[in-house]
Amino acid sequence: MRLKDLGTRPAPAAIRNLLSRIVRGHGPSVSVQRRQIPYWQERGWQQRGNTYTGAYQTRHGAFTGEIRQHHGNDIEFFLYQPSQEIQSHSHWACFQHRGNDWYLVHMGRRPNDVSSGILAIERLITEAFED
Amino acid sequence: MKRLSVVVAGTGQIRDVEIQPGTTAGDILNQLGLKDYLLSKGPNDPFFAAAESVFDKVNDGEKIFASTKAEVGERLLCA
Repeated sequence: MRLKDLGTRPAPAAIRNLLSRIVRGHGPSVSVQRRQIPYWQERGWQQRGNTYTGAYQTRHGAFTGEIRQHHGNDIEFFLYQPSQEIQSHSHWACFQHRGNDWYLVHMGRRPNDVSSGILAIERLITEAFED
Repeated sequence: MKRLSVVVAGTGQIRDVEIQPGTTAGDILNQLGLKDYLLSKGPNDPFFAAAESVFDKVNDGEKIFASTKAEVGERLLCA
């Protein structure tokens, strides 16, 4: 005898899955909508009235911040406890101490919106770590 | 040809564009009517110069950001 029947056993789950898909066919595709949200929101900042709280996020870490939008592009950006790297950066003089380890970031060129300001500060923090 | 999604930072609006080799950041901003904006791949990357070719520096389907010009401090006053 060339063949010996060893009995039956269930096929592995991956094969069962594949076979069932062949039998059923693919269902209709589902179109997933993109979220169109401002950058500040995408980065997890919270808005309460004219004040935003959150963190400036870089590959070197997240830094607690607060933003106060008075009107239009009159926006103040604050950073809490800037790291030693930031304090050693050439723009450190642009950080004004406002008490309790909070610093106001002086913007030479004011952004038109909160998100652009966050991006600018995140870029500065990255520079501070990489320069 | 590469496809890009340009996220306008302030609004979150996403503009899809197709670019060809040699397309500059200025070309994209002009085409989208985004005056006084700058393009970047994100906060960890520098802004593209207006005359800089974007094509070679992005991947097909990548998301890039358009943000308004902003700068921390002025060298004369702060640095």
